Amino acid sequence: MDNQFPYLSAVLLTPALGMLVILFLPHRSTRAVRWVSLASAGLCLGLTLRLYQIYDQGAAGLQFVERVPWVESLGIFWHLGVDGISLPLVLLTSIVFFTGVWTMWELSHRVKEFFALMLLMIVGVYGVFLSLDLFFLFVWYDVSLFPMYPLIAIWGSTRKEYGALKLTLYLLAGSALVLPGILYVYFQSGLFTFDLVQIAQAGLAPDVQYLGFFLFLFGFGVLAGLWPFHTWSPVGHVAAPTAVSMIHAGVLMKLGAYGVLRVGMYLCPQGLVEWSPLFALLATAGIVYGALVGLAQTDLKYVIGYSSVSHMGLVSLGLATMTAGGISGSVFQMFAHGIMTALFFSSVGHVYDRTHTKLIPEMGGMAKVMPRASFFFILAALAGIGVPCLASFWAELLVFINGYRAYPVLGVAAVLGLVVSALFMLRVVQKTFYGERNERHGQAPDMTLAMTLPRAMLAATILLFGLAPRLALDLINTATTPLAGMFR
Amino acid sequence: MTPAAPNDYVLGLALLTMGLPLLAFFLVFFLTRRSVGLSCFISLACSAVPLLCAWSLLLGHWRMPVPLLWEVVWMSSGGATATFGFLLDPLSLLMLTIVTSISFLVQVYSLGYMAGDPGKGKYYAFLSLFAWSMISLVVASGLLQLYIFWELVGLSSYLLIGFWHHKFSASEAGKKAFVMTRLGDLGFFLGIIVILLHLGDLSILGLNQNAALKLGPGLLTASALLIFCGVVGKSAQFPLLTWLPDAMEGPTPVSALLHSATMVAAGVYLVSRIFPFYQASPEALAVVLAIGAVTMLLSSTMAMVARDIKQVWAYSTVSQLGFMLMGLGAGGYFAGVFHLTTHAAFKALLFLCSGVFIHHFGTNDFFVMSRSGARGLKAPMICLSVAGAALSGVWPLAGFFSKESVMGVLAGLSNPLWLVVGLLGAAMTAYYTFRLLFVMWRPCESAEDPLHGGGHGEHAAWAYWVMVLPLIALAVFTVFLGWGGRGLEAFLRWHQEGVAEAHHGWLVWASVLVVASGVGLAWLEFGRAGAAQAGFLSHLPALERLFARRWYLDDLYRLLLDYVVYGFFSRLFTINDRRVVDGGIDGFCRGTAGAGWLLSFLQSGLLQFNLFSMVLVIALVGLYFLLV
Repeated sequence: MDNQFPYLSAVLLTPALGMLVILFLPHRSTRAVRWVSLASAGLCLGLTLRLYQIYDQGAAGLQFVERVPWVESLGIFWHLGVDGISLPLVLLTSIVFFTGVWTMWELSHRVKEFFALMLLMIVGVYGVFLSLDLFFLFVWYDVSLFPMYPLIAIWGSTRKEYGALKLTLYLLAGSALVLPGILYVYFQSGLFTFDLVQIAQAGLAPDVQYLGFFLFLFGFGVLAGLWPFHTWSPVGHVAAPTAVSMIHAGVLMKLGAYGVLRVGMYLCPQGLVEWSPLFALLATAGIVYGALVGLAQTDLKYVIGYSSVSHMGLVSLGLATMTAGGISGSVFQMFAHGIMTALFFSSVGHVYDRTHTKLIPEMGGMAKVMPRASFFFILAALAGIGVPCLASFWAELLVFINGYRAYPVLGVAAVLGLVVSALFMLRVVQKTFYGERNERHGQAPDMTLAMTLPRAMLAATILLFGLAPRLALDLINTATTPLAGMFR
Repeated sequence: MTPAAPNDYVLGLALLTMGLPLLAFFLVFFLTRRSVGLSCFISLACSAVPLLCAWSLLLGHWRMPVPLLWEVVWMSSGGATATFGFLLDPLSLLMLTIVTSISFLVQVYSLGYMAGDPGKGKYYAFLSLFAWSMISLVVASGLLQLYIFWELVGLSSYLLIGFWHHKFSASEAGKKAFVMTRLGDLGFFLGIIVILLHLGDLSILGLNQNAALKLGPGLLTASALLIFCGVVGKSAQFPLLTWLPDAMEGPTPVSALLHSATMVAAGVYLVSRIFPFYQASPEALAVVLAIGAVTMLLSSTMAMVARDIKQVWAYSTVSQLGFMLMGLGAGGYFAGVFHLTTHAAFKALLFLCSGVFIHHFGTNDFFVMSRSGARGLKAPMICLSVAGAALSGVWPLAGFFSKESVMGVLAGLSNPLWLVVGLLGAAMTAYYTFRLLFVMWRPCESAEDPLHGGGHGEHAAWAYWVMVLPLIALAVFTVFLGWGGRGLEAFLRWHQEGVAEAHHGWLVWASVLVVASGVGLAWLEFGRAGAAQAGFLSHLPALERLFARRWYLDDLYRLLLDYVVYGFFSRLFTINDRRVVDGGIDGFCRGTAGAGWLLSFLQSGLLQFNLFSMVLVIALVGLYFLLV
């Protein structure tokens, strides 16, 4: 395995290279900027698919590992690797990145800056998913957060400065808990290394795990939309431009859950055991609460924002079950929700671009006006409700089964959330897309074929993984089964 | 009773049956739905082949020694495994044949009914989606597979009820159907989880054989009741029965296929599918019996005052499903399944006939149809009468025999109350059915030519005949199916020697008397020359109102939804989210900014002030060290 092509560095550096190229392009050549972004996204997608194909499921564990000393005296290494948990999330990032760039093709305002920042954000996302070194993981984490501020404040809508500020401050407050957590673990482990694998193997003292997990849970949990630290998410989603919402809700929120899983649960398994009842309680509260608040929203993007709160609650509940099935369900839910919510935002983005409104009462009958956009939205809504044979169903199934096994009362409460989420999704579908055509938007054009394709890619992914869940779950199981053994 | 693996021939037939409708859905929905002719052809071909396969499987396994089982792992993680496959035994073969037959006939019928509808391609795609889900539900080898397709059947129901979604009532009805059945499905889902966690085996055979031994009586009853919640939702039983009448907003062929013959019968099918499991818990069976009885009575009263022809059949579907559950709840496995079989034939026929009238006259009100000359449509009128008579249980039609067999089981119970309820239900059924028939039979008052009604009557004659042909096929079944009861019983009970359900000679006369009295009352009020055309309920306005408003069940749900879900939880949580959670954060941020503003006054930039502060701080620190 030593002399093979450094796939992971290639995935991580391709968008960085793309960004550099864009920075050196003249302002006016927007075409070139778009093509460079799309090319780097396509390259990443191709590399990821190749990775997915050659990952050895029989051997399992971390693969494609690259480990190069960076600052050896401090124990910092350029240490990359993927396993069954991070690989599906890397695939998710590549798909959302590619389709996100494509849906922003028609952007005309400050194109160069937009794509440069977006690529920078993606570098950070890949970095978090691929890094096995706590120092780099933290650096990439912040790299992925900072570009959000200009991206929302410049290209956003609806109270964009407020949304951008709130989101950025909130997430930085979260990382202000993560950094002390990392340093605490770094010093308490006595190894003076940031290497995640080494620290996990050596193990930490129980009281260190207790405090450490607390810091990681709430530090990363903010980004995962953990209740009650979720209010930045709807506000931020509403303000952000389409592709940023797609990447943000689709991928960035998963960084939070991934951080809890990769840093918190790997390093502090006993901490999870101690904190799991609280974790599960907050998760369940998020599931039910998000769905009920979603019922009362009148802005399409707010609705999706609150559905994200509810669905990310499922991710957290899965993690809190401490069982192989629950964690598998949780990882699969991250993947499925990422694709689904990207599809949501990309179809709402189209509706908003053409009608200049996202208020539900101002619409109606959109299925007649924009059949394609409506189809994609309705498909995403059905996936969100947990209709079988769409990807999220399997994830929800696993989370509910194991949630009920671990916490019977909370499990039942979370299952009740299913009815509410069905009610609120179908209500939105009915009010927005069904009914008599609203004459105000009667002439709004539907998606062109070129703009349909990225959405179709997302829809096809939902269907593919819904019909054949083993494509992802067999891989995820290889990583979660050994992990669940740590919580005894 | 260990299952055998199917040979290649059976495997091929079964996979064709299960796979073709899905193929048709994808082809039609994503590729061909703009070209209507091609879509119809694909869809019809992909439902004709499964029809032939199903019949060939049924006839080929008329004497099957052991069930045939084939499955693959669909998903597996952390001890939970979902399999996908099929279990072929007499029950699933029978149901498979019913589903594919009616599905095919409805697709033929829809050629005429949906002629000229711009969304015909999409309509056929949804019908194929439904056929796929329903077939896979019927042959499911495990409870989880059954649940998955149970949900998908619900999805196709949602899509088809709301097919004309520009109509508010249609989209509202679709939503209501989905949410109400989802409410019941929660119980089903929890039941599956309980069984999975405590038994570890979700296969239907395993459940039927081992559940009683391995689960304690408490858990057994609890899981059986939880699963029954799903049945209550899907088969529209009390208290979740009000979605089904609303579902009539869908196109009439859809009502015939989904909301009478097959999909809503899935609940009854589920109970019979795991009947040994239910039998192990007498408490659960008692609940099934009671819910079935309440539903039957309630919905029959609603049918007695309805003026919409589809509503009448919808209520009657609900009540007949309740009747089937009564049969099952009383321990009559064969009786319940037999009634399900005959009901599928005559209820589909009733709906399809009504569809011809609705299509022709452009109204759902059968009083108006009658005034416009419904008698003029000979073939549909005859079929409607045959099916109506079968529904009422008139000898020698199919309904008579299956009803008798349920009544026989009810008479075997120690408590005579259940038989009385059953007979009362039968009387009401006869009354409301013949009320409708007598009205429709009345000679036309206006001289208008009945063949040019107010609806889509202008369509070509082929549309009319393509709709009538399936009627005739179903009418044949309605007439002759009852005589096959003995054979069917032997087929279904192939593994149990001689457990024929008791027959009571006096019971036949009792039910004939009851039916005759129902018909007689209807004749007095609606049929005889110079009848007032008003039911006895019009003298009891309070009661009539109660029945017409569905015992205020809908109003109750509306109140709960408006005041509890929307008005309380949703509103409260939203306020909490904006004011408390988010407001708290905003307040904290403002507090931080304000504190900064206050502290900024300390930075006056005056040298003497800075020096003074320095001396003061040093003095205070010095003082502290001196004192401690």
